[in-house]
Formats: sequence, C-alpha cells, structure tokens
Amino acid sequence: MLTAEDQMAIEQRLADFLKKSEAQWSALVDKGGNLFAQNGDTGSLDLSILSALAAGSFAATHELARRLGESEFSALYHEGHGQHILMSALHHECLLVTIFGEKTNIGLVRFYAQQVTVTLNELLHQAREKEAVAEPLLLDGDFMNDKAAIT
Amino acid sequence: MAFINYSSREIQLKIVYYGAALCGKTTNLVTLHKQITHAQKGELVSLATDADRTLFFDFLSLNTKTLPGFTTRFQLYTVPGQAIYNTTRQLVLKGVDGIVFVVDSHWEKMADNVESFANLQENLIENHLSLVQIPYVIQYNKRDIPNAAPINYLEFTFNNRANRALAFEGVASTGVGVLETLNAAARLLLAKYSKTPNANVTGLAKPNDSVVVPPPPEDAQVQAGNVA
Repeated sequence: MLTAEDQMAIEQRLADFLKKSEAQWSALVDKGGNLFAQNGDTGSLDLSILSALAAGSFAATHELARRLGESEFSALYHEGHGQHILMSALHHECLLVTIFGEKTNIGLVRFYAQQVTVTLNELLHQAREKEAVAEPLLLDGDFMNDKAAIT
Repeated sequence: MAFINYSSREIQLKIVYYGAALCGKTTNLVTLHKQITHAQKGELVSLATDADRTLFFDFLSLNTKTLPGFTTRFQLYTVPGQAIYNTTRQLVLKGVDGIVFVVDSHWEKMADNVESFANLQENLIENHLSLVQIPYVIQYNKRDIPNAAPINYLEFTFNNRANRALAFEGVASTGVGVLETLNAAARLLLAKYSKTPNANVTGLAKPNDSVVVPPPPEDAQVQAGNVA
C-alpha cells in the first residue's frame, strides 16, 4: 500500500537519482511484478510489461545464483547496444529498475543506485509500518452482481 | 499480494493460470486478449520456446473500472506446465492474489491434472500461501473433445472439498467459458474490498448447497487411484 505522500517521496528520490546518474528511467517494482512508482521516460513502452519482465528476470537470476551457492546477490545488469538495464534489490521484496543509455555509464548509475537504495529502503520500511496499522480499504457495493465486469 | 496505490487510485491484482502441460492456460490468455474489447488491455507477452511451449510465463494486463473510484489492474500470468519448470512456477506464484486452475478434460490427462493440482498446493506452501487463503476457480477445459471426462468425475477429483470452488466448463480455443472464468476469479478478488460482501463472497458454494456428486465409474476410480 502506498499513500500519496509515500508515492511523492519515492518519486522525488527517483527523480534525484535520475538527475545525478543521468539515467533515462527508474522504477520501484515489487518481486511479484507490480509497478509501485516510476520516474523518467521510456517512450511508448508498456510499463506493466516492463515491470513483469524485470521482476521475472531478477527472480530467475536470483534463483540461479542461490542454487550456485551465491548468497550475496544484490544487483543484475543487462548490457545492450544502446540501452542498458540495472536492477538492484531492495528490502520488502522490491527492486529498483533503472534504464540508461549512452549519456552515462554503469559505474555512475551503480554508484548512485547504491545511494538511493538506502533511502528507498527507509521509505519502504515506513510505508510498510503504516500499512500494518492502516484500516483496510472497503468500498460500497458487493461486486458480485456484475457477472461480466471484464468484457 | 494486492498492491493499492492511493496516489494514482489504482489496485493491482495478480491472477495466475495454473495447470498441467498443454491444458490450455496460454490459450485462455490468447482468447481473452482477442475477446476483451472494453477493458483497457496491454500487449500479450509470451516467453515461449520456438515450439510455442511456455518457457517462463505469459502476461496480459487489463485495466478495469470495476471498483468505484479506483482503477483495477488485473495482471494475468500463466505458468509453464511442463514438469521440469517447477522452479519457474514457484517464481511466477510470488505475490499471487488469485488462481485459475485449468483442467484438461482428456481422460488420459487426468494423472497430469491431479499431479499439477498437488504441485500447485506444494508451490503455494513454498510461497507461504495455501488454497485456503488464495481465492481460486476451476475451469474444465476442452469440453468439446469426444472423450472428455464427465463433469461429475472432474468435480469429484478436483472440487471435492468442504468448501467447493466455482467451476466452469470451457473450450478455451473457441472462447467458451473463458471470460466467465476470469470474471468469477475477478469477483472473488474484488469482494475483499466490499463493505457489504455478498453472502457468496468467498465464491464457494455453501456446504448444504453442495451438489452430491456420485462416485466416479469404476474404471475412473482405478485411474484416479493410480495417480493419487
């Protein structure tokens, strides 16, 4: 659960991170593939798909590492011709996904990613604490009568 | 686990289509992608082998306005059905909110179906979940084949619990039962957010409503016994 304040705070950190690292796009995604917050530009890319694939890719590589006996596995980097992806593990089953191009380099992006992950972890921790005591979301209607909600 | 974003007024829910190899999970998503015209849908993504067998997952995202004041984003995933991809199935189940279990109606696929249902329960445990917590519906697919197992046998085999799940007959390749199955799963998930949930909110038939399912034919019992 993210409140408007949480969302704003996370997006602000992502914006700062992008500015410093000169990366193109960055997002907070959970390991189930949900997109929590994002900043930057990916053109017309479908962000749901991007999040699902990033989470899947990280999960598969993480499992591979685990089976190889690699206990420390905090980041994953895919290098392309023009665009590259860095995925960094966060606490609370989340990931920081960053896309960057030729304007910057992996060293710079990784350096600032390591910094922002500390801040994001704190924000996630606060959000999780708020969620634990928040009233459950309850809305009017029983949602059972509409037999074809999705058409 | 459902993700609620109060800033963008969005709820994200993950539904996983689970079942044995070649039972029709991907076909369900392909058909849904064709059939759905009103909900805002994303591209259907398939991570498949050259032979069109699911390697990792298929993914389809649907945005609906089913909850007042919120956009509901249903993220539909399939798992690879082949036995060797069990680790992948565990990964896809991470964060699942609801399950559609697809049963292949072929008699000769009963062992695979039973094994897959047991495997689902094992993999949920791996994810610290269980079918008691996760709403699920069952789809008996391929009802158009000549040697389809009778529904009462399928119900006896896959839906013979104290709380019976909603079950639908389907022919995913032609679209029969596909939207109904998804809508039932969606309603079960959305009921969690209702102030006044329907009496059937769990989506499970009341115990005293349960249909008395006659025992399966003797040869079927043998078959079921073989796969237990």
